Amino acid sequence: MHSLGVDDRARRREIPPPGLWRRARRVILIAAFICLVPVAVSWVHTLRRPRNVSWSIATVEWARAHGANPLVSQVENWYYELNAPSKGGPPLKSLPQVGVTTASAQPRVHIYRPPRVKPLIHPALPGEGVWHPASAVAGRRPPVLLTTFRSDPEYPQFIAGVAWIDSGRTHLDYVPGLAEPPELESRGPAEVPPAKRDRIAATFNGGFPLETSNAGLVYRGEVLAPMVNGIATLVEYRGGRVDIRPWENGENINPNIVFAKQNLPPIIEEGKLNPNLSDGPEWGATVNNAIRVWRSGLGIDKRGNLIYAAANYQTVESLAKVLQRAGAVRALELDINEDWTSFISYRRPGAKEPSNLLPEMFRPNTRYLEPDERDFFAVYVKGGR
Amino acid sequence: MTPGARARRALLIDVIVAALIAALAFSFAAGLGVVAFFALPLFLIGLLWIVVERLVLRLRRRRRPAG
Repeated sequence: MHSLGVDDRARRREIPPPGLWRRARRVILIAAFICLVPVAVSWVHTLRRPRNVSWSIATVEWARAHGANPLVSQVENWYYELNAPSKGGPPLKSLPQVGVTTASAQPRVHIYRPPRVKPLIHPALPGEGVWHPASAVAGRRPPVLLTTFRSDPEYPQFIAGVAWIDSGRTHLDYVPGLAEPPELESRGPAEVPPAKRDRIAATFNGGFPLETSNAGLVYRGEVLAPMVNGIATLVEYRGGRVDIRPWENGENINPNIVFAKQNLPPIIEEGKLNPNLSDGPEWGATVNNAIRVWRSGLGIDKRGNLIYAAANYQTVESLAKVLQRAGAVRALELDINEDWTSFISYRRPGAKEPSNLLPEMFRPNTRYLEPDERDFFAVYVKGGR
Repeated sequence: MTPGARARRALLIDVIVAALIAALAFSFAAGLGVVAFFALPLFLIGLLWIVVERLVLRLRRRRRPAG
């Protein structure tokens, strides 16, 4: 037994070094391991932060924020190309119920309401393009109206959800999220503040993160990311007036600006679709514009009221057409993908009975009633309901 | 030099080369996300390769007739 053990040890000692091929594999494996140590530290640090998204979404966002945005977008492109919807399909028989159906009489004094959105597909479905108040206690002049319509004759299964926000009756707030914008000293609650919930009418997603938008952000007069000329910008001025315009002021920030958030080139300018809605370098490293995916956008009508639109299976062009059809004369694209597209209205004061604009929206209707990763916009009713 | 010493020296050289490759990867990549995008699949494939190789070797040894 003893002599056998000695032989064994001697044999083991005489094992020759591995061949060249195996050494190359070993080098690659060790190099990959060394690379993964700081990766793991950073990733675990990100996952340990407070968040309200799954670890897989947080991982994708971590990769995007750490230089891999073009790679992630390319993988998304391949995924969505493989899962592209087919044209046609059986016709829909009804649309999802949005907003509150009221049987109240028309107001005696004239109050502006946007015209019904003309349906694209005939015959129209019951209620298609008809505006309904988002709140059950909206009064004679509802601050937010909602509607749905089929957005593309070639894809009659797709439904777009649209919200019209009366700028005269509402005030828009930009709310920073837990992680977005990244550089912010005083972040706030990252949710609809409980003290303001009695006046909340709606909330919606805030656009690409700064890391991926390559665009600017001004918040409370402070430049958090330099503004970029030509990029579509949602601006709120002191006094509450909002506008959507391509930025033209370079680094000069009007002191009356409360916030200015940029996101990609404009998709509608002066009533016309951007002629370059198909892909180009100006759209940055995002999912290809022609890929059909959840998309959202924000426009402004000729009276200065905001129009939000979102739908699944939209290209940038089809989204722009939805906003144009709903009355937008200028518009920008907001977030894409089901994880980030949210429009929530609150049927009762106190943020009670929250309701997603479209039932198939992925995120829960309580999304902004708890701290959220991303920045968002909150629509408050001026002076109570 | 014994074969064992030669193997240890080879391992040391391999670790130094791997560290240099990792340093190059960090300096050229746009961020940790890019490093992870390539390093993680490489690492997993490498590990899987070794596991499969060991399994195949073990199976071959078992099939070899005794004596």
